[in-house]
This record gives sequence, structure tokens and C-alpha cells, in this order.
Amino acid sequence: MIESIASPKPHKVKPVIFEEFFGLGQEETASPFLTSNSRKWAAHLTLKAACLAAIFLVLAFFLSFFPNTQALSSLLLVFVYFLAGIPALIESFEDLIDFDINIDVLMTLAAFSSVLIGSSLEGALLLVLFAISGSIEDLVSTRAKGSINQLHKLSPTKATVINGNGHLLERSVKDIEPETVILVRPGEIVPLDGKVIEGISSVNLVHLTGESLPVIKKMNDQVPAGARNLDGAITLSVTHTAADSTLTKIIQLVTQAQEAKPKLQRWFDRFSRTYALTIISLSTFFALTLPFVLSIPFLGPEGSVYRAVAFLIAASPCALILALPIAYLSAISACARKGILLKGGVVLDALSQCTTIAFDKTGTLTTGELTCTGIKEIAPEELPWEEEDILSIAYALEKNAVHPIAKAINTYASKRNSTSATLTDFKSIPGYGIQANTLFKNEAFSVFMGHPDYILPHASDEQKRQLNQELDLLRRQGKILAVLMIGARLFIFSFEDTLRPFLKETLQRIKQKDQWKLLMLTGDHEDNARRVANEVGLDEYYANLKPEDKLNHVTKLAQSGGLAMVGDGINDAPALARATVGICMGKVGSGAALDAAEVILLHDNLEYLDWLLGKANQTQSIVRQNLFIAIGAILIAALPALAGLVPLWLAVVMHEGGTVLVGFNALRLLR
Amino acid sequence: MIDDHFKGKTAVKHVVEAQARGIIAAAEIHGTEIPGSISSATDAARNTTILLLLCYFVLAYRDLSHSRILVSLMILAFGWLIWMAGRSAWLGWSRLERLHRILEEERWEIEHNREQERDELKALYQAKGFEGKLLEDVMDVLMADGDRLLKVMIEEELGLTLEVDEHPLKQSVGALIGTTLAASISLFCYWIWPLGGIYLATGIVITVSSWISAYYQGNRQISTVVWNSGLTFLAASSTYFLLIFFHDMGLIK
Repeated sequence: MIESIASPKPHKVKPVIFEEFFGLGQEETASPFLTSNSRKWAAHLTLKAACLAAIFLVLAFFLSFFPNTQALSSLLLVFVYFLAGIPALIESFEDLIDFDINIDVLMTLAAFSSVLIGSSLEGALLLVLFAISGSIEDLVSTRAKGSINQLHKLSPTKATVINGNGHLLERSVKDIEPETVILVRPGEIVPLDGKVIEGISSVNLVHLTGESLPVIKKMNDQVPAGARNLDGAITLSVTHTAADSTLTKIIQLVTQAQEAKPKLQRWFDRFSRTYALTIISLSTFFALTLPFVLSIPFLGPEGSVYRAVAFLIAASPCALILALPIAYLSAISACARKGILLKGGVVLDALSQCTTIAFDKTGTLTTGELTCTGIKEIAPEELPWEEEDILSIAYALEKNAVHPIAKAINTYASKRNSTSATLTDFKSIPGYGIQANTLFKNEAFSVFMGHPDYILPHASDEQKRQLNQELDLLRRQGKILAVLMIGARLFIFSFEDTLRPFLKETLQRIKQKDQWKLLMLTGDHEDNARRVANEVGLDEYYANLKPEDKLNHVTKLAQSGGLAMVGDGINDAPALARATVGICMGKVGSGAALDAAEVILLHDNLEYLDWLLGKANQTQSIVRQNLFIAIGAILIAALPALAGLVPLWLAVVMHEGGTVLVGFNALRLLR
Repeated sequence: MIDDHFKGKTAVKHVVEAQARGIIAAAEIHGTEIPGSISSATDAARNTTILLLLCYFVLAYRDLSHSRILVSLMILAFGWLIWMAGRSAWLGWSRLERLHRILEEERWEIEHNREQERDELKALYQAKGFEGKLLEDVMDVLMADGDRLLKVMIEEELGLTLEVDEHPLKQSVGALIGTTLAASISLFCYWIWPLGGIYLATGIVITVSSWISAYYQGNRQISTVVWNSGLTFLAASSTYFLLIFFHDMGLIK
């Protein structure tokens, strides 16, 4: 389901989905009351209105040059004030009722005051530019909201409850109390945390622990909500309500992502209120006192009111206030389209300060999917059969299973064009393995395949001893194992984690382009760590690390310079939280890791890492450019306007031109 | 909690009141249940032609030339056009806001008063003839899915219909077209035939717009056309004779 996040289409026509409607903030584009075709009319309305107002303004401007069309020019200006001014006026009145004197109030006051001094064209220009800036911001934030909203669909809303009579009933997870008995069928996601009271099954906990290999859950084992049940039906006694589930945590994380603001932006939010109040007070002060100081009239083009209004407009910091959020939102939106979720623009600030990246190994540099690396026979020493023969039986046993080991065997068999042997009396023991009978080379055999614990009771004492020896050896090499027993013969299948595709190329680009230092922090075996580090070209690696060791390494590295840490499991969560920027794998990432990290790679798309680093640098660069342009526009426009050196229309053009310029500059980040 | 939610009433009484609220909220702004844009177009056409006819009486009574009357009516029609289109959009948005609020309130009720909502649903389905275990099973199925439950409550309890309304702007375009057509027909007929053109135009517009409304509503067309024509004649006559009356009284010169 996560895959759909990369291509958000909030305005696409869809059937009634209330959760989407509420998730998008009750937007008309998702209104359940409107016909599906009619919802298209609601798309980008503020932008359309602002553009229409801009066209009317241009027409009004040209018509104002001819004496006979002055009235028509005024008529068009009324339309401009209606389209761009009414929304601003409503917002300002609502703010004033809440005693919130902010930038909107300042801008609206400036625009409507200009009418009073006979400069309605300039006021209209201000309103149009303000409306365009606002509508572009709306557009970008709606896109970001739409992509994030898709995550709501992850959470299961229903569970199958077994009532006192043994009947199955579908219930909303919200209605289910602890100690309710629920059934989870194979293939379903566990809807609520619970304890197994009946059945046995393998469950995949990748969302919760980052552990890619399924775990066997049997009587009295705890199963967390969000786990995917693989092969057997299990009955659970619910232990926690829906509000405590891991998937609820992900949704909280998303909300956090929407609300988090960069430090710079938070400062501007506070600053804008003080600034607006100061400018309005100063304008009033200048309007009332300038005639006494400079011996000028109150009214007229040279009057104090005119100059005060000019000052009011020119000193409005729209560029500063609007351009920074647009820059951060554009970058966040661009990242969301690539399947990268950022917890606000602050992450981009922090990421651009980093010089080192540390990676976890399992689930991060490797996919967590298994590759079969070989088959080994335990006594007799020499294989009496070809490997293809053994593989055909293993393939026949596992070809319909969904377990990762089964998938690895199937892939291995397919690559070798292996055929499937014929089985009878097939029997699956959920969580442990499979057994069947087969007729092979005119000889009848009982075959067993699965977890070593499942096979051991069928082996002789000598085989058990040899098998345990081999298993220890292979496990020390970081291999994952399955055992096949054909008659009295034992075969060990070994597997290892697969490296992520394009990883080596991505890491090379990061090293070459940005001169970053790349290292690995893993709890895995030294041999495995070395193998992976060499294969992908890391500068350093640290193996056999416990979570606290990882944390110590990360603390040191983060203190000596900015550190980005990439991880996925619960064991990575402290390190992700301590790093300058924590980056978590979204698909296999645990709830705790998702909470701790600031960046979520929703599709585990590590190959976009260099793109993300580039985007962070580009955002910083554009924010700096915008600050320079915005402050310059205010200084250039406000002071000459107050001194009467610049006419009102020119002050507006300089000021709002600066706003539009930084707005468009910021929109470059959408790419 | 139950008393707070039902305000001392039974679940059935509560449902009846909720349905009434829903019906009021869903009431079509132009008084019919035909598609919003057609409703607003026909309604705007009738209003426009009557307005122009009444204004024509007032202007003609002041002995203005035909050309001055024509220009005056054109200017008036332009202002009226903007009002009708804007009013239609605003009414649509107002209605949509009201519906969204009711939806939000119902969602809140489902989130916070699940037991009471279940009782309401039970009362509704009991009234439909469900009882005993079947009733409980239906309740269980409906309560299991949040999206489905909200849809059922909106449709069954509040009597609202989903996905039938047109966007306010589409309605507004309907009003714009209706007004433009009616004004164009009236003014064109007046320009061609100053003495009787406006009466002819009024007749055409009232007949056609009433017939379209009746057709979409499934009502009797002839009856609707005659009623609307009669109403138009009544309004026009009232203005005409009151003008004469006030003139005779010396209040209008």
C-alpha cells in the first residue's frame, strides 16, 4: 500500500471516501456530496481566482490610459477587489476578532487604504500579487497533504471477532476491548496487539522490528498489531486497544511531519506578528505627525497619509513570510513524489550541515530478502544425487509457500530451470515446516523441510551431532538455514541477505560529488560486515555492535561534525534519534525507528539518497537567495517611499515584485 | 451520556428529528430536485425576464425613447447577471458548508457516542422490519466499517444523498447562461419590435424555462407552464396597474 504514496493525486476523481475527505481538511475536491465530475470544478480555485484577477488588473491598467474608458477601468478594478480582496478581507476580520494582528491584516489594510487615497490600481496590484503568492502556497501544501494522507489507508479498520458461540463477526477495531478473542487468517495484517491462544503461524514483523525473516508465533506468544500473518490461522486475545497500535504511531508521525517547521520559519511566524503591529503603529504615527515635522499636508499625493500608506505597503515583509514556507514546502513535496517523507523543512537545514553518513547493515544496505547460497549434505560425505535432484524436491515442497526462505528456494530453482518433483500426502506445519511423500528414481521417500528444530527429531544421533556442528559453523558466518530430509539423508540449504540494487553506484556518487565519509555500524558478524563494506565501497565499518555501542559511535560522530544515520530496526532507534539526521527505511522500518528518524524512505529507496542530499543543499541555497532578495526589496522600497522619493505604484511593484520573484525562485525546488 | 445525546428523547424521536434536519439541509436551493445547473439556469431565466418586463413598465411610463429604454435595460441586465451568477454560487457554497458541517457532526457522534449511534441505527432498522438476531447481525455488519457506517448514518438517519450535488461554480454557470439567454431574448425582441417584443420574449422565456423545469422534475408540463405564466401575468399586472394608480394619485409624474 505504501507504494501509492509516491504519486499523490488529491484532485483525481474518486468514489466517496470519508476518511480521505476529512484527511484533506474537508476540501471540496473530495466532498462526498458533490458528483464525481463536479469535484473537478473545485480544483485550484484560489489560483484560478488570482489569475482571473490578474487579467482584470492588466485590462484595467490599459483602459486607465484613455479618458473614455476610465469607468470601465474602475469596473474591472471592482472585480479585482472582489476576487482578490474579499478572501483577504474575510481572513483579516477573522484574525482581528481573535486579536491576531498578523501579516494578512497588514497587507489587507495596506491594499484597502490605497483606495482611500485614490490609488486603487496600486492596491489592486498588491491584492493580486498577494493572492497569487497565497494560492501557490495553497497548491504546494495541498500536494504535500495529499501524499501524506495516503498513509491513513495503511491501518486495518476491521477485525474478525470470535464471539462466545464461536461465531465469526466483523467488528471495527475501535469497538474492540482488551481480552476480546479475534481470528487472524493467513495473509491478513494483525489488527490489534494480542496474545496467541490457539494456532501456530509465521508472522512477518518487518514493519515493527525491521526483522525480515518471519517469526514463529505459538500459544502464549505476543503478536503486535501491524504484523502480517503468513501461513496459519491464529486466534488472539487482544491485549491493547487500537489507539496504542504501531500503525497509529505511523499516522501520528505523519501529522508530526506536516506540523514541524524549520527554526527559521518558526522564528518568522513569531516575528511577523510583532512586525505587523509595529508597521501599522508606525504608519499611523507618520500619518499623524509628518505634517507637523515636514510641513506637508495630510491628504494628496504629497500628503502624510499617502506617504504612510506607501510606507505601509513597502514595509510589508510578504517575501520573507511567504517565500520561505514555499521553498520548504516545495522541497518537501518534491521529496514526497520520490517517496521520501520529511519531518518538516528543518530536516533539510540539518542535512545540509552533515558530512558523514553511517549505515546499518541488515535491512538497510541489504534488502532483507534472502538468496540461496548453496546446498550441503550431512552424511554421507559425498552426494549420491545431483544437486538438481535435491532442488526439485525442495522446489516441489516450497513452491506454493509465502515464507521468505520458500521464495529464495523458488528463485534459486527457477534460475537453474529446475523441475518440480511429484509429491503426495502433503502436510504443512505452520511456523515449522512441510512434509510429504515422494517417489524419486523409483524409490519411495518421506520428505521433510523446514526449521532445524522440526527436522532434528527425525534424525539419528550421529546426524544430529553433525547437523548441529554444521549449523553452528554456518550461523557464525551469518547464514540463515533450512534443512531438507529425504528419507534418511539430510541437506542444509544456506541463505544470505541480498544487497540493495544500485547501492554501490549511489554510494560512489555521494563520495565523489559531495566528499562525504561513508561508514557502517552493525550488530552483525565481522566477516559479514567486511564482505558488505567491501562490496559497496564503504570507508569504514564497525561490527558486533550492541544498540548502546551504536549510540556511542553515533554520539561521537555527531559531535565531531554533522552525521546522517540510516537504519531500520528497533535497535537503530536510539542512534537515529541521536544523529544529526536520522533516516529510516519506510517499508522494513520499525515503529520506534520511524518515530526516531526525521526522514522516511517510504519505498526503502536508498538509491535516492544522493538526490536527497542534493535537494537539501539546493534548498539551503535558495532560502539564502530568497532572504537576500526579500530584505533587499523591503529596504529599497520602504525608505524611499516614506521620504516621498518613490511613487506608491513603484513601491508596490518593487515590494511585491520581490515577493513574486522569491516565490518563483522557491518553486524551482518542486523539480 | 445517553440522556445527553438524545436530550431526553427516545432513539426513534431522535432519528425523526435528525431526518428532518437532514431534509432541511438537503433542500434544493432553487426549490426543486433537478440538477443544480439546470435548476439555476431556468430559475435565473424566469427571474431575469420578469425583472426586465417590470423595469420596462417603469421606464416606458416615463416616456423615454426606445433606444434609451434598450440601453437602460441592457445596463440593468448586466448588473443583474453578475448578481444572479454570484448569488447562485454563494447559495451553493453555503449549502455545501452546511452539509459538510452536518457530516462532521455525524462523524464526531460515531467516534464518541458509538453505543447511542448503534441504538439509533437499531431503531431505524427495526422500523424497516428487522428484528431479533437478524437485526443484531445487521447492526454488527454496519458498525464494523467506519466509512460504511458514516455513509449509512448520513443516508438513513439524516436523509441526505451523497454524490448528487453539482459544484457551486457549475450552478453559477447555469445561472449565468440562464440570465444571459433570457436577457438576450428579451432585449433582442424589444429591439426588433419595441411595442410588443418584450411581452413576446417574456412569454417565450417563461414557457420554455417552466417546461424544462417540469420535464426534469417529472411534473405535468402544461400545468407548470400555465401556473408560471399566470404568476408572471399577475406580477406584471400588479406593477402596471399600481403605476397607473400612483400616477393618478399624483405621486408619480
